[in-house]
Amino acid sequence: MIKRLVSAALCIAIIFSLVACGAAASNPATNAPTTAPAAQAAAATDAPTQKPAEAAPKEEAVKATLTIAIWDNLVNDLYQQLDIQSRFQKLYPNVDIEVEKIKNDSEYWDAMKIRASANELPDLMFNKTFTLAQFKDYLIDLGGTEASKNNNLASAYSVGGKVLGIPQTMTTEYVFYWQDMFDEAGVAVPTTWPAFLEATEKLQAHFEPENPDFMAIALGAKDEWPTYPFVEFMPALQNGDGFNWDSMAKLEEPFASGSNMNLTYNKIYELFSKPVFGRDPNGIGHDQAVALFAQKRAAIIVSGSWCLDTIQQGTDDVSTLKTFYLPVRDAESEPFRIIAQGDSFLGVTIHSQNQPIAVDFVEFYFSDAWYRDYINSIPDDGTVDEFAKAKTPALQIADDTEPKDKTLVMYDGGGDDFQSLVNETKFDYKKLGAEMFVDGFDLQKRFDDLNAAWKSARAKLGVK
Amino acid sequence: MSAISRKRAQFIVVSLVLPVILLLMFVVYPAADLLNMSFTNWNGLDLQKTYIGLSNYRDMIFSSPDLWLSLRNNLIYFFVHLVFIFIELLLAAMFCAKFKGAGFFKWLIFLPYIINGVAISYAFSYFFSPVGGAFNEALRLLGLGGFIGNWLSDPKIVNYVLASVSVWRYSGYHVILFIAGIKSIPNDVLEAAVVDGANAFQQFWHIIVPSITLVIDFILFDNVRGALQQFDIPFIMTSGGPGYASSTFTLYTINIAFKFNNFGMASTMAIAIMAIIIAVYFLQTKVVAGLRGVKK
Repeated sequence: MIKRLVSAALCIAIIFSLVACGAAASNPATNAPTTAPAAQAAAATDAPTQKPAEAAPKEEAVKATLTIAIWDNLVNDLYQQLDIQSRFQKLYPNVDIEVEKIKNDSEYWDAMKIRASANELPDLMFNKTFTLAQFKDYLIDLGGTEASKNNNLASAYSVGGKVLGIPQTMTTEYVFYWQDMFDEAGVAVPTTWPAFLEATEKLQAHFEPENPDFMAIALGAKDEWPTYPFVEFMPALQNGDGFNWDSMAKLEEPFASGSNMNLTYNKIYELFSKPVFGRDPNGIGHDQAVALFAQKRAAIIVSGSWCLDTIQQGTDDVSTLKTFYLPVRDAESEPFRIIAQGDSFLGVTIHSQNQPIAVDFVEFYFSDAWYRDYINSIPDDGTVDEFAKAKTPALQIADDTEPKDKTLVMYDGGGDDFQSLVNETKFDYKKLGAEMFVDGFDLQKRFDDLNAAWKSARAKLGVK
Repeated sequence: MSAISRKRAQFIVVSLVLPVILLLMFVVYPAADLLNMSFTNWNGLDLQKTYIGLSNYRDMIFSSPDLWLSLRNNLIYFFVHLVFIFIELLLAAMFCAKFKGAGFFKWLIFLPYIINGVAISYAFSYFFSPVGGAFNEALRLLGLGGFIGNWLSDPKIVNYVLASVSVWRYSGYHVILFIAGIKSIPNDVLEAAVVDGANAFQQFWHIIVPSITLVIDFILFDNVRGALQQFDIPFIMTSGGPGYASSTFTLYTINIAFKFNNFGMASTMAIAIMAIIIAVYFLQTKVVAGLRGVKK
């Protein structure tokens, strides 16, 4: 009997050690930050933020290490190539910059959430539009900085009147394509959604006989997130509302027949149901999709401007690589909308032990000492007029060829209400996009389920 | 108390203090915290959390169909591995016989276990890729092109494909454990069986299997734990998709915590998986003991 009890106790101990370690990682707010955000923000406002970044070196006695967390490989490479540390050390000779590169953005958010609960956030972190609201309690207000005042988008993305991060880029979504393949298949750049569908079918019909693995559109839906140009941005492009997610949070049944979401997702489903994504779109990931596109085994890839660099790395010849904007309108008579968003919002965390220096780093980052060279080294657009740059030729083509009366929709990732509803209903639009490729997928049933869940969640959370 | 007794007492105390402290810090406290968190709606970021009683437990049982789909997928891993445990035992018995190259084969079969799980998952992602994947190419070369399927995206087969990768990875570990168990059986017992006229199957069933009960018990427990905590292979190879078709309990729990910011519910699920593992293990032990006719 004793033996059995001992073995049972051992089993439980082993299981606890195997399973419960997750709890240590996600240790809750019992370790909540000891300094109130407001006080921290006030400290930051008092920080020496108004001095120009090009000023003479500060006192050499300041010794510290600033940590900055990133997920982007290209950014990581540029920090080394352009030697961000040496440049900042002209201001603070004894301050080191420690870049913490995290594998990808998905793991980045997981790591930041864990570190937030453990009071271990880096001094500086990047956010996206949809995470600013989530991390609002952990970021100080940068509204008083010159970097914020000079930035075209910073105040537009403020949360509760506070500038929690300063966007370093404005990213736009493009349809990358090979002009020579379009020419060979006799396809013109489409300017409406029906024309886009027709173009993809024509490309597939032309190239598939010689290459059974050919895909008119390379997507990489196995990773789910590559569906975002369609499932995330198209609803805002369809109705021209950059705050579409917030508008959706106000609706009782946002997927009801005739609604913007219903209309848009039906359009996407129509495209995803066509055999223009290859034989198994859910069987390959984004890396493989980009590689196949770069090798011209696919004619189109829809992605952000950030993807250009990866495409260029996969091929020696980009002379026929061109872009156009995804046409969502149904007819030429409707407005032609393109979407853009502020991206990579640089913020200072409340956990920083060196907040005044971190704020100075933000000033430095968006000054001539760093930002001009940096923004000229990446394909994305900048967010500071003073350092405006010409677009990369492959991206400029989209502006040159599209209708001149196009309308810019500034995208927002959704505020508190929307995020709460997403968490409650587990509405995962990227996963939903990947599911549309599965045989037998029933979109109408999914709409019904989502409507019911949304209605119930709104009532539970008291969202008006 | 004599000097020797005192030193022995000191040694025992010193030897126990550190492990007990470590156990309290890294096992008991996190587990207690996990249990505490399972009664809250904490989102992982808010500075405060609200206690909501048993709501998480109720929602988990009655309002999380995708969780139960994920658990069903775990059961596929469990049963596929269970079938292979018998094959692994036979392989171990075979490798214990003296034949040329036995050492090489032992090394070969153990090799997958020492390779990083992430690397294995990436390698098999490309192996089963629909474009240029080695598996499809091999089928074509063998004239079996008609059997080519969507290995990583067809909800009907994807879990079996992933379970086969898991078997490939862990079988060698089980075989080595079985070999260690078989090697520990005294030779004279087996020789006596041979003298008494026992054939190979009788030796295997009546001597080898009962002699390595502890190893079998451990491997069966490892199978329960491993199958229910399966994570890296589906996470890397399919992201649990399409939809939740290849999601597992752990993968779903992590999504609940990090994607949907519900650490309270994720804690509840972690508690549930602990309870399930313990329950399945004891059930399995009873069943196996019953099959062997052993009163435990």
